[in-house]
Amino acid sequence: MTISAIAQLVASGLLIGLIYALIAAGLSLIFGLMDVVNFAHGEFLMTSMYVTFGLYLFLQLDPILLMPATALVMAAFGIFIYRTVVKRALAAKVNAGMVQIFATFGLAITMRGLAQLFWTPEYRSIKDSVVADKTISIAGVFLPVPQLAAGVVCLLAFLALYLLIQRTDFGRALEATREDSEAVSLIGIDRHKIFALGWALGAAAVGVAGAMLATFYYVHPGVGATFALIAYVTVATGGFGNLLGALAAGLLVGLVESVSAVVLEPALKQLGIFALYLLTVLLRPRGLFGKL
Amino acid sequence: MGVLVLLPHAISSVTILNILILTLLYAGLSQAWNILGGYCGQISLGNALYFGIGAYTSTLLLTHLGASPWFGMVVGGTIAAGLALLIGWPLFRLKGHYFVIATIVIAEGALLLFQSWPWVGGTLGIYIPFLGDSWTMLQFQTAKLPFYYVALGYAALLWLVTYTVDGGKLGHYWRAIKDNPEAAQSLGVKIFPTKMQAAALSAFFTGVGGAFYAQFVSYIDPESVMNFQISLLMTLPAVLGGLGTLWGPVVGAAVLIPVSELTRSYIGGSGQGLDLIFYGGLIMVIALLKPEGIVGLWADFTRRRRQSRPSLASQKVTP
Amino acid sequence: MVNVKTLLASAALSAALALPAYAQVSEVVIGVIEPMSGAGAQTGIDAKAAMETALDIINEDIDIGLPLGPGAGLPKLGGAKIKLVFADHQADPQKGRAEAERLITENKVSAIIGAYHSAVAAVVSQVAERYQVPFLAADSSSPSLHRRNLKWFFRTSAHDEMFSQAMFDFYKDMKEKKNITVDQVAMFYEDTIFGTDSSNIQRKLAGERGIKVAGDIKYRANSPSLTSEVQQLKSSGAPVLMPSSYTTDAILLLKTMGELGYKPQGIVAQAAGFAEQAFLQAVGDKAEGIISRSSFSLDLSEKRPMVAKVNEMYKKRSGKDLNDNSARQLMAVLVMADAIDRAGSIKNEDIRGALQKTDIPGDKTIMPWANVRFDENGQNTGATPVLIQVQDGVYRSVWPFETASRPVVWPIPAR
Repeated sequence: MTISAIAQLVASGLLIGLIYALIAAGLSLIFGLMDVVNFAHGEFLMTSMYVTFGLYLFLQLDPILLMPATALVMAAFGIFIYRTVVKRALAAKVNAGMVQIFATFGLAITMRGLAQLFWTPEYRSIKDSVVADKTISIAGVFLPVPQLAAGVVCLLAFLALYLLIQRTDFGRALEATREDSEAVSLIGIDRHKIFALGWALGAAAVGVAGAMLATFYYVHPGVGATFALIAYVTVATGGFGNLLGALAAGLLVGLVESVSAVVLEPALKQLGIFALYLLTVLLRPRGLFGKL
Repeated sequence: MGVLVLLPHAISSVTILNILILTLLYAGLSQAWNILGGYCGQISLGNALYFGIGAYTSTLLLTHLGASPWFGMVVGGTIAAGLALLIGWPLFRLKGHYFVIATIVIAEGALLLFQSWPWVGGTLGIYIPFLGDSWTMLQFQTAKLPFYYVALGYAALLWLVTYTVDGGKLGHYWRAIKDNPEAAQSLGVKIFPTKMQAAALSAFFTGVGGAFYAQFVSYIDPESVMNFQISLLMTLPAVLGGLGTLWGPVVGAAVLIPVSELTRSYIGGSGQGLDLIFYGGLIMVIALLKPEGIVGLWADFTRRRRQSRPSLASQKVTP
Repeated sequence: MVNVKTLLASAALSAALALPAYAQVSEVVIGVIEPMSGAGAQTGIDAKAAMETALDIINEDIDIGLPLGPGAGLPKLGGAKIKLVFADHQADPQKGRAEAERLITENKVSAIIGAYHSAVAAVVSQVAERYQVPFLAADSSSPSLHRRNLKWFFRTSAHDEMFSQAMFDFYKDMKEKKNITVDQVAMFYEDTIFGTDSSNIQRKLAGERGIKVAGDIKYRANSPSLTSEVQQLKSSGAPVLMPSSYTTDAILLLKTMGELGYKPQGIVAQAAGFAEQAFLQAVGDKAEGIISRSSFSLDLSEKRPMVAKVNEMYKKRSGKDLNDNSARQLMAVLVMADAIDRAGSIKNEDIRGALQKTDIPGDKTIMPWANVRFDENGQNTGATPVLIQVQDGVYRSVWPFETASRPVVWPIPAR
């Protein structure tokens, strides 16, 4: 293997890793806030891609310009889902964990059906974007511009989320609610409001991911399922509830996938990711950066 | 029970028999899942692995050695149980979602390996050759009744196993581990071996179910016996019916399987995804409205009857 | 209880049962099993439109030179109409099996057509065999399907061996007639029954013809990324890429190739994803120059105007042009209806007999086929494949050279 082939391998792995991390950000955020794993996360991504596509049909704008709008629509959608589904699931007194899993899982199937009803199962794609179909080559290493853009957006999104949680009153309220949701109600914070905002934020993060993904990926009712498992594995490898853990794990997962495709065979490349996860949690049962 | 034995004689519809067979099979499979997931609180979303191992073992024994699938069921179940012990050894130290995701990735990994393994047919799968109607080989040209009775026997056996264990010492341990592991340990329950026992028992019967499924469909490939969807389908009836209850998986399967089969058959042909909306909506609604499962409705009902007719109820209640 | 059931059944079926089966049949029911949800859903939905177009031709008086066009219904069955019942298998063999049994026992279908996914077709044809109902594979191309000594199995279109043969014959013709040598190929195929079957035969043919397989990449269907796969294809250095993929991966493959600057001289695809309108729309001018095997080519209408008329009818229903899949699905219904009409009966054995005697000349179809004649395995031997190439955003037939509508463009022009 030549040096440039190895460089390409690493570059491609890191780029796809950033995309995995971007997709996983919302999942990690919501889990960190209220210990809920959203099993409809893949379908949230699918929805945000359709939102982008729908806005694109109306406005004929670049998906990157549509990103704030997509994020906003998704945030509203996140609040809606919190109010109608998640809030009720949290209220369950018995089998709480299972209720959360299956309420969101049922939601996932319903969303897939709705997507098929409204959009038909046709494959859609958006070609009008400044980044679309462009690629730059540095010393024989090819870097696709849409993925580079998604990578930059990913880093910015993580930075923004980090600052939001660390430096703002809202972030402190989130943190306080997370630590003791009963106690905060005593000091006048409505925890349902905080949770709903948390879902809005998580869904908006998926909205950003969906808009970026739509610049280079097809849109289809089943597209979420393709990314969902990797998103869960990414978040768990990094450690549930740790935002920067998700970023680091995303990069690691992308890199391991890229390398396994060469070391094993391409059809088995996900085995590398699975092995990475198992190895990580067997050594550190709470993930790489989870609190032990 | 008598109704279930005689019922199929009154039904000439192959479709309904197919649905009943699947319902019984999933009642049994979900009961097997319930042993570890419901009673012991170890949520596995990777039971498709044991299902697939059972299906592949019996099918390979049949196609290579001409062995009867009855024999294959036992061997398949045993291998599945052995595998469960092997996996449980390192995995039981994981908690919550970390454990759940670990079971998913192990099953998905096995699926990938089977697809790339030519000796087991890889992605081409394996056809089970048809050699004429035979109980020994569990093959029937068009007859559904034999499969129905085998599935009924399977579901009944699982129910009996759970019933026996539920009332016994082991069931007591399981619940203790699920509710409060620390307290259980202080009372002298050996947590790890108890979990391992439950895992082996659960995997054994899941493997047996897989072997039956292979005979029923007469063709297997990794996607159709080891897919994540199969794992979910084993979990759903117990969750919706009532987690860690004796009747939960049965009731859950009796609601879920007919609904999913009938919606696909009668509205799935439109291609509009209405079947998915209905099916997904049902799961969501039951999970939200009845967290203790459908069997909880029965408890509500009897409680209300007791309240409305206290005199009668007080006579019925026995210590 | 038995009586209630029988009563209900006889109420519904009284018309059909009370009359002798031979004389007066007002309706012949054919079952169709296709994916209507999940990843292959669009194919099933397009199949529905295509097959309903075939119904219009059969059931209405539309004389455009196809079997059963003139006159309404099936003349030898007293003008009986064909009715199609659609069922969804969601790409799951077990579900395909249950649906086949439901169609046979409940809807009393006279025949079954399906099933796109070869794994499902395998199981459905087994059920059909057991119930002795004719099964016609419209759009499943796995070669193993017709090699199981099934008596009730028929396939109108070519299988992947015939298609692959065509690709290698094309290479041979290229050398002999255009002095262009193809001596190295890279294979790229998904890890399903379709991809495995296709790659096995291509590997074998390459060996026989002295063509080196420089790259042999099996990949996981519906992967989120194909970067490493394309990287390996690129470093294999093979000038010709031979992919076997469905739509999702075909789109992703082309996009990734563009991103990584992998530009082979030629791409010769095992259809599926590469012969779809959705694929063309998604990848745009990147599709330019791609060659795919096909059973169908719309520019056949230049020679046979009725193809354009049928396409118009289909377009009204679906909003798109006929493609490899939908044309095959449409023809399957016509071939089956033709057999039922010739049988003059809806008895299964009669229909099977008529199917075996099928002899439809190529110009009575919308396909570039020589004819429709089934061999003892039920395979149509006259299903001549063609190769089509994307030229100026449209699929054009480019091989066999004698019947092609356009000359082949080789290598793929630089953009």
